[in-house]
Amino acid sequence: MFLQPAYLAAALCAACLPNAAHAQAAVGAAATAADNGANAAGIVKRSLGNVTLERAGQVQAVKPGMAVRMGDVLRTGADGAAGITLSDDTLLTAGPGSELVISDYRFDPVSHDGNVLASLWRGTLSVVTGLIGKKAPEKVNVQTRSLVLGSRGTEFIVETGGVAP
Amino acid sequence: MTRRLHTCLPGPRTAHALAAAIAATALLAGCASPQAPVTDRVVLLPQTGGSASAVELVAGGQRLRLDQPYASAVLQAGVLSAATSDAATVAQRYGALLAVQPARPRSFVIPFEANANRLTPAAAPLLAELRAALALLPAAEVIVIGHTDRVGSVEANDKLSLLRAQAVGDLLVAAGVDRSLITVLGRGERAPLVPTADEVAEARNRRVEIKVR
Repeated sequence: MFLQPAYLAAALCAACLPNAAHAQAAVGAAATAADNGANAAGIVKRSLGNVTLERAGQVQAVKPGMAVRMGDVLRTGADGAAGITLSDDTLLTAGPGSELVISDYRFDPVSHDGNVLASLWRGTLSVVTGLIGKKAPEKVNVQTRSLVLGSRGTEFIVETGGVAP
Repeated sequence: MTRRLHTCLPGPRTAHALAAAIAATALLAGCASPQAPVTDRVVLLPQTGGSASAVELVAGGQRLRLDQPYASAVLQAGVLSAATSDAATVAQRYGALLAVQPARPRSFVIPFEANANRLTPAAAPLLAELRAALALLPAAEVIVIGHTDRVGSVEANDKLSLLRAQAVGDLLVAAGVDRSLITVLGRGERAPLVPTADEVAEARNRRVEIKVR
């Protein structure tokens, strides 16, 4: 549901008549979509078992289609797992018993400039880097309580016991 | 000394033990017993398409670069060390994780008649394939991305590429794709299929890509 404004903007642009005035407006809308991207970083595509998302202290059950924003805390139960596609095509998959936060995210869909920092505080995370990593691999990072991982264009898995220091 | 012994002991991990392990990394260099808890693991997977790939790890001042498929790293009692994994181990340990990975984005380039917003006959089977792919995707998204060649200014090409994307978005809707799934954007002349000098007309660069994910 959080996606509606972005989708609506896209739908309106797609609906508008192809003339220069509308194109100008739509370029503006593309910029807005990029700004929204800082909030709605991605979408949950798949979820299994018990998965929750905490945003501003509110915890809700995760369903496919739900938006994930910067700062959201995704938690999977012992039987849970969830796959998220970020707006730059990065695939983040959290395995059972995980706690994952998109700590930092920015992506401009026109220029492909951006950065991503995923924090895996507990559990397992598989990462397939996307367009941000393709343009600037060093802009994609994953951290746990104990280590920082910088990608150089890639697919990898991180696992952490993640006991708080 | 008590702390050091404590961190080397097997048994349940505690916040205290881990904190001590991290704080005492230097002291622990000689005591990474097999029972010491492994706090972190990293495995570099083969890159789809086999292209070069790497990750660089930093932990407590230690650095390690993994740049071979299935190269692995283990952080145990604060000590970062290289290891290797393999396809079978990854499947056994992370199979449940990888089974939930979202579908990789897939791109279609739909041909349409030059200087017109009409699909060519060749587009029909591609559209059918696109709709079939969409039907299989949970929380599907369609991103329509317009591109131009380098004739004209960057700004004019931004607008033109967006117009092309909008036209294709409309065609997708007419072909039965739910408009609410569609996002259109124009990337202008930034991403040519065939690199050219500025102001060179190149038909292959005037295109619209449709990404589904």
